[in-house]
Amino acid sequence: MAAPAQQRSSMQLLDPKVLASLSNLEIVAKSVVEGFVIGLHRSPKFGFSQEFVEYRAYSEGDDPRYIDWNVYARSDKTYIKRFLGETNSHLMVLLDSSASMGYGSNGISKLQVGKFLGASLAYLASRQHDAVGVMVFADEVLAYRPPTSRSGSLQGVIHTLDKAEALKGTAIHKPMARFQEHIRRRGLVVVISDFYCDTQELLDNVRPLAVQGQDVILFHLLDPSELAPELKQSTLYEDMETGHAIEVSPAFMKKEYRERINAHIAAIQNAASGMNCDHVLINTAEPLDRALHSYLTFREKRG
Amino acid sequence: MTLLAPLFLLGLLGLALPWWLHRLEMQNTEREKFSTTRFLEASKKRIHVQRKLRYLLLMALRMAFLAMLAFAFARPLLFDDPEVVATDDSIHHVIVVDTSFSMQTGNQLDAAKTRAATIIANMGGDDLVSLYAASTALTTVVEPTNTAATVSEGLGTLTTSNGRLDLGVMISSLNPLIEESPAPVTLHFISDMQLTGQAVRFADMIPDVVGGRAVSLDLQQLSDNAPANYTIDSVVVENRSKVIASIRAYNGDLANAAKQASLSVNGTVVQNVPVPTGSNGVAQVAFDNVVFGEGDNKVDVALTPNDSLAADDVRYTVFDNSPPAPVLLLTADRESLGVTYLSAALATAPRGYAVEATLVDDLDPRILQRYPWLIVDDLGVINGALATALTDYINGGGSVFAALGPAASKLSSVPVLNATATSSIVGNTTVPASIAQIDVSHPVLNDSSGWNNVNVYPVKVELAETDRVLIAQEDSAAVLIERNIGAGRLLLFTSSLDNSASDLPVKPVFVGFMAEVAQYLSNEKLLVKAQTADSYLQLTQGGGGSGQVVDPTGKNLLSLQDTTRAKDVLLSLSGYYQVFTPSGEVLVAVNADSRESDLSLMTPETLQNWQASVSSAAAEGAKVATDMAAAAQTDNARENEIEVWRLFLILMALLVLAESLLSARYLRVKTGTF
Repeated sequence: MAAPAQQRSSMQLLDPKVLASLSNLEIVAKSVVEGFVIGLHRSPKFGFSQEFVEYRAYSEGDDPRYIDWNVYARSDKTYIKRFLGETNSHLMVLLDSSASMGYGSNGISKLQVGKFLGASLAYLASRQHDAVGVMVFADEVLAYRPPTSRSGSLQGVIHTLDKAEALKGTAIHKPMARFQEHIRRRGLVVVISDFYCDTQELLDNVRPLAVQGQDVILFHLLDPSELAPELKQSTLYEDMETGHAIEVSPAFMKKEYRERINAHIAAIQNAASGMNCDHVLINTAEPLDRALHSYLTFREKRG
Repeated sequence: MTLLAPLFLLGLLGLALPWWLHRLEMQNTEREKFSTTRFLEASKKRIHVQRKLRYLLLMALRMAFLAMLAFAFARPLLFDDPEVVATDDSIHHVIVVDTSFSMQTGNQLDAAKTRAATIIANMGGDDLVSLYAASTALTTVVEPTNTAATVSEGLGTLTTSNGRLDLGVMISSLNPLIEESPAPVTLHFISDMQLTGQAVRFADMIPDVVGGRAVSLDLQQLSDNAPANYTIDSVVVENRSKVIASIRAYNGDLANAAKQASLSVNGTVVQNVPVPTGSNGVAQVAFDNVVFGEGDNKVDVALTPNDSLAADDVRYTVFDNSPPAPVLLLTADRESLGVTYLSAALATAPRGYAVEATLVDDLDPRILQRYPWLIVDDLGVINGALATALTDYINGGGSVFAALGPAASKLSSVPVLNATATSSIVGNTTVPASIAQIDVSHPVLNDSSGWNNVNVYPVKVELAETDRVLIAQEDSAAVLIERNIGAGRLLLFTSSLDNSASDLPVKPVFVGFMAEVAQYLSNEKLLVKAQTADSYLQLTQGGGGSGQVVDPTGKNLLSLQDTTRAKDVLLSLSGYYQVFTPSGEVLVAVNADSRESDLSLMTPETLQNWQASVSSAAAEGAKVATDMAAAAQTDNARENEIEVWRLFLILMALLVLAESLLSARYLRVKTGTF
């Protein structure tokens, strides 16, 4: 009977509203991942933990931290401990911090959810000894940390994410061009954005990554009121990026807008599948476990 | 408008507060942030414009509320007549022009207008002036004003009337105007100063001096000499064939006037005779063998040549040449005194009644239905069969005036009345009880004077509960009773009409009483056919609807609606008015008051005395009220002031209500957005 209660409390930790009450992004990430991992204990398929799998003879280049000194004392040979899920990949988190990401109707903005997600993914990757990097962008690159698995790199990534503020407009081509210049090794690229950009522009900028051999996941963050707005009165909406104001009627928001936003989501999804990328639509009011699941599934697929 | 506390107007700066708040509100809440508008499309209905207007309206209401609040504290005052400005040096010239009938003499009205124009031209720059026309009533022509041109225009509209001016009435009408005057008053009275216009009490011609208001009287007599005037005092028709006119000379001599009198009947001159010399300025002219038509006849007598007051040289009279209405009188003796008294009294009634005395024994009861009413001089002579017939007659709507003569006094039960006669005191030598109770509300007792001198020995009859006692004696014995029987009525005089048990028939009140009885029981109401100009004709006298009234010029005086509801109508012209009532057409003759024809002037001593009395009364009033003068002026000023802060409070209440309603609506809108 204790398990469901434990599961419930762990799931509560994935709720963005609960996470928003935590001041430290690192704690948030740790809480999310720990809660998520606890929830996975019952699932053999996604058995991710620090479980010991095998010993392997130490070879040059291996991290000496993982030498099992007890075995060395008994056998005078150096062996390295191998764990389940351990890879030598790296993760690059690209977080959109354009002004539109500052929108939120339920007390938490898309940028905050994006930070939680980015930090959680970074923490999760760090547990798997993956190198983690981050780039915060809007219409240009605002902050950049190259991927590294060195000690303390996680804190640096989380700190970079924490400083991100919703500013300026969205122009994906410039930051993507910069990113392509810096990235050399193949790895996992996570793009967290609301993708209020032209679909063709997104295709043009993400396709080189896919061609380069990067595995790309597009986390498409949208607020509930962006997905299914409900108006009772005509309202004058002001664009958070351009400042342009436009008055819309409840009838339009109920029908035509939803058709348009769904078409846009579908276009992004199609574009992603066309590039063999993964597209995950995240409703910012929902817990983050779905995003983490998507990440692990994707990672597992790619080996 | 003035502001007693202008500092409070600084409160108007508070208007900036709602403006500032609304500005913030507009900036903060007017727009909703949204991530992107790339998928949005503008609504065709620009609700936000309406909302913006609503916000502006809300702000306007709030600013208006604060403005009202500031104004209310500033206590602004409005003056009821901002066109009238009186300073400390102002004098209020009250010009009263006599427009009575006598002012038609010569061109006196033009002279009066010239005098008035001179007064207006000479008044000071700060002075006020008002104009009134005085005749039977005082008419305001121009309210107090500083504008002389307005008064000059008003002067041009003045015309003479046919009314009579009484100076006492004029002054009493002026009193309230003088009291309300914002400045000391100079009363300019422009008139011919006719002697007959003088009030009965000299004191009535002195304006009341209230609150120390200074009043001076400026008497402007148009002429020192009274012109000779000849007029016709009265026109009487005798024996339905003779017209006698009484001619009177004022300030003149009939012997030298060489006047001719002409008689017109229904617009046709039928006779023309010279006016005799007469004596004491009065002469009578008789027109014999005059033939009248049936019904109302226009009979007017005119004097030629005309004098300076030509309007009174003709006298209008209406002669009703209708045959006397027959009245059945049931009696036991056609030669009795009762029959004689009744016949004489009814013959002289305005309508004229011909009494048909019929013996009770000779009466065929079937003829009763021919008469709307009848008389029984002694109810005691009515036998059983006739009593039944009379009862049936009354039940059917007939009316009976009956007396209890000698025969009735001997009966124990009164026929028709079916009441027990409890006692009879006929022949009693004791002094009869005096009349103690008269129901003057009853139509037959309109003129109750004279009844107290009537001595009556009544037959005391047992009264029914529904009987109405119209006259009773001190001992509560009923003298005159009305009983409704079926659809008709019985009017019972409980004594005799032969001067035996009652001396009523020989008292002056009897003729008038019988005329009223006849009019009441016959259900006829008569218009008074001789009226004085500027009086009101009581139309309801005609019974039923008011009818239409056509004046001497042929103009209908009443609108279609008024023909059913007008109670009276003003008779402003001299001549014949035609009154169309439901019962037929009636002529009414209207003449100017004969006192206006006497153009004798008030003596110079009287005028001086009048002027001096007004001045001394004003001085005395001013002396008494010296301490009150300032306060009175302040009070007068305050009377003219309207404190509008109460109005502002009402407006504030309305504004709060409107603001609350609008705000509530606005809040409803806000809850609908995210």
